[in-house]
Amino acid sequence: MTYSQARKELEEIVRSIESGELDVDKLTEKVKHAGELIAFCKEKLTKADEDLQRMLDEIA
Amino acid sequence: MNQSLTLLELNRFVREVVKNNFPDTYWVRAETSDVRRNANGHCYLEFIEKDPVTQNIVARARGVIWANTFRLLESYFQSQTGTAFTSGMGVLVRVSVEFHEQYGYSLTVVDIDPSFTIGEMARNRMLVIRRLEEEGVLRLNKELPIPDVCNRIAVISSATAAGYGDFLHQLASNPFGLIFYTKLFPAAMQGENSEASIIAALEKIYENRDMFDAVAIIRGGGATSELNCFDSYPVATNCAQFPLPIVTGIGHERDVTVLDMVAHTSVKTPTAVAEFFIDHQAESLARITDLQQRLVSIARQAISRENSELALLSKDVYHHSIAFLSKQNSEIGNVVFMLRAYSQKQLDTLRQEHKERVVRFRNAVEHVIRSEKHRIENAEQYFEMVSPKNVLKRGYTITVQNGKIVTSATSLVENECIETIFSDGKATSEIKNIEKWKI
Repeated sequence: MTYSQARKELEEIVRSIESGELDVDKLTEKVKHAGELIAFCKEKLTKADEDLQRMLDEIA
Repeated sequence: MNQSLTLLELNRFVREVVKNNFPDTYWVRAETSDVRRNANGHCYLEFIEKDPVTQNIVARARGVIWANTFRLLESYFQSQTGTAFTSGMGVLVRVSVEFHEQYGYSLTVVDIDPSFTIGEMARNRMLVIRRLEEEGVLRLNKELPIPDVCNRIAVISSATAAGYGDFLHQLASNPFGLIFYTKLFPAAMQGENSEASIIAALEKIYENRDMFDAVAIIRGGGATSELNCFDSYPVATNCAQFPLPIVTGIGHERDVTVLDMVAHTSVKTPTAVAEFFIDHQAESLARITDLQQRLVSIARQAISRENSELALLSKDVYHHSIAFLSKQNSEIGNVVFMLRAYSQKQLDTLRQEHKERVVRFRNAVEHVIRSEKHRIENAEQYFEMVSPKNVLKRGYTITVQNGKIVTSATSLVENECIETIFSDGKATSEIKNIEKWKI
């Protein structure tokens, strides 16, 4: 999954929850998934990927 | 030829002719080429003129700017044009025409008109821009979206430039904890090679374009600012058509270079380029954080709403249950009453039926008893009538031999004794004759 896909899904979840159309079971499930998406997105922005930097360093 | 001259004599003659015929200084329009400075601070160069169509050089002259003049002109020129005095520029210079016996023809610069160069650069920029526009590439890079995650940055800079260090430091010390990946593609950002060197760096990045989100072209910290390469058509067209967004921070005070115009985003300094990337990423992060906060707050709301609904619901259930129970109770009361009444009725019926049955039974039994009694009386009369006593009275006797009743003549033996029993006595007889009958 890409960052953009994750963010889009996250926005949709927040919108659907805000519209109040979800029952409490679905809500729990969605909030849990949203939490995972948030972690994924934040990680992309703030967590160093050493492999990636190494790959860039290896470009001759 | 008796009337011959030495070379020196000839050159002296030429020098005199030149000096006498060009006593003033003259404003000359030309293009600079091969500009260089020696250790004493004198500036040597070539002035050339090209055919506007063929670009072939149609005139050439050596030029010199003596150190004391050059010091003044250089800073004046730079402050006015925003660029250093260098090769490839259209200039308007006031020159004295010299001829030196040893060094030949040359032009000594005594003044320069920066506004001409500004005009020339502007004209050149206009031409380049018009060409890019005609080719439909001028705005291509600007139209590229900056991806949400834009943290893999290819940097075109001189490796030793202070601006490059500032750029890296700024990225690394961002206050949001954002991560950036950078790769330097070194290029000469000034001098004769800068144009080719920038294009080579772009080509290298292009080969690895999948590994980057954006390109930063930065420059800064150098003493002189020389911007010609940033107005050049080859650099501009390469940048305009580059598949990754380009952000420039080439540190100059002049309005804009063509590169700035075609780049996705143009800021003043390398530090500002870093800020641009940081801001963009911080915005992405803020969007996620915003979504997170919205999610938390609505989830909280939803939970408290569910809770209060649950409380209401349980109150409802309680009240409904009570109502239901009391309704059921009264219904059960009715049923019990009805049941009791019904049972009583059933019981009465049964009781009545039982009573009747008992009467019927008693009658039947009495009838049986009566008829049995009658039958017994008849039997008694009969038994009375057939009792041996009465039979014997009527003349019958019983014959007994050896204590057993004899009922057939067949068992009798002549000369033996038999007893004959009467109702009122017995007699013993000896059998004289036996006569057997066929029955």
